[in-house]
Amino acid sequence: MARVVPDDREKVLVQAARRGDEAAFREIYRTYREPVWSVVLSLVGDPLQAQDILQNVFFKAFRGLPRFRFRSALFTWIYRIARNECRNHLRKRGLPVVPLEDILGSRYEADTARVADGGAWTSADTLTGAVMQLPFKMREVIVLKYQEDLSYDEMSRILGCPPGTVASRLNRALAELETLMRPSEGAR
Amino acid sequence: MNVSCFFLRRKFVPYLEGGLRPREARRLERHLAGCRPCEDLVARLRAGHLAARRLGRRPPDPSPRLPEFEELWARRPSLPRLSPALAVPALLGVAAGLVMLVAVSSRTMNSRSRLGFIASGASQAGPEFTPLAIREFAGNSRNRIVTEGFVHNVYYDEQERTLHIKLVEGLQDSEPFVICEIRDVRGLTIPQQGSRIRVYGLARFDAQPGRGWHEVNPVMNIAVLNR
Repeated sequence: MARVVPDDREKVLVQAARRGDEAAFREIYRTYREPVWSVVLSLVGDPLQAQDILQNVFFKAFRGLPRFRFRSALFTWIYRIARNECRNHLRKRGLPVVPLEDILGSRYEADTARVADGGAWTSADTLTGAVMQLPFKMREVIVLKYQEDLSYDEMSRILGCPPGTVASRLNRALAELETLMRPSEGAR
Repeated sequence: MNVSCFFLRRKFVPYLEGGLRPREARRLERHLAGCRPCEDLVARLRAGHLAARRLGRRPPDPSPRLPEFEELWARRPSLPRLSPALAVPALLGVAAGLVMLVAVSSRTMNSRSRLGFIASGASQAGPEFTPLAIREFAGNSRNRIVTEGFVHNVYYDEQERTLHIKLVEGLQDSEPFVICEIRDVRGLTIPQQGSRIRVYGLARFDAQPGRGWHEVNPVMNIAVLNR
């Protein structure tokens, strides 16, 4: 699935949705449902909460489409809503989300493939667990950069901060991730 | 860390990805050869980068099942739609209402200031409020309480139209905490993160799924002790 919808198609879709065309809403939802789900689940860690957030993201996106000004790609705008929903949800919930073993166990096969360069290896479970332990601001840059493969410019638009800040935050996040991953290296 | 380190550090990840131009990469490598802290940082970032590269997009068949569009569409909040003929008079009515609301609320704010809405001292909220530490909420049976703590964060719930303040005992703490729900924010000086505040209100336990926390709801008065 192409994540970035061509501009012209995007404009046509958004304009049709603004006119209340249900088919256009359906197309937007089908295009972005899984990418948004992927981000939301990675940020909150709990599928049930992620499901509620996913729904709210699209409710807000549909309601906010008249205010969408095509200053960014539609996916950037929707990701931004998703990120804000996750942040607000976690703030309100008030507690850091700890990855649940059963979620990880059922959704990810243990992957013990070695990383060629440097010889470091780890399981996907450990990696996901370490990412979930990062503070939200660090977790989101890791997820957007490495999971969603976004550019600094795209991340900057989603996070609402300059690319330089994104780069600094990414450095801190990777350094922290390295620290968190150390125990697993010791377990080899 | 000098100025050169500060600016070059932003290029470390692009460097690790091979995304720098050869000239930039050579400049960075020259810097690394003479700067031990940056060299150490690059080594840590490389390890983090190699690990993070293993993150993939979440599987497309998630559990629980994602709602189909038709389910989502059926559950969407209804939005009132006005015909163009009604829209202009309605907007004028809303505007007039807002003007009246501003006028009334400014008068209310003034009267609240006189009552010490943002003031210190338990006596101003009445002697019937029982002092309660945040950690004591779990075993509390008192209803009207006054508690103190630091503002951990502030969140406005658009759906419930309430302001939520998470209050903790220490600046570095995240637990124990209480959520203070403020239903009427008119005239309220919203306390900043890290402020120490005193909150008067009713102690409750929110047992809704996904919550399960102690709260002060509704908040009847707040005193900002320091910012």
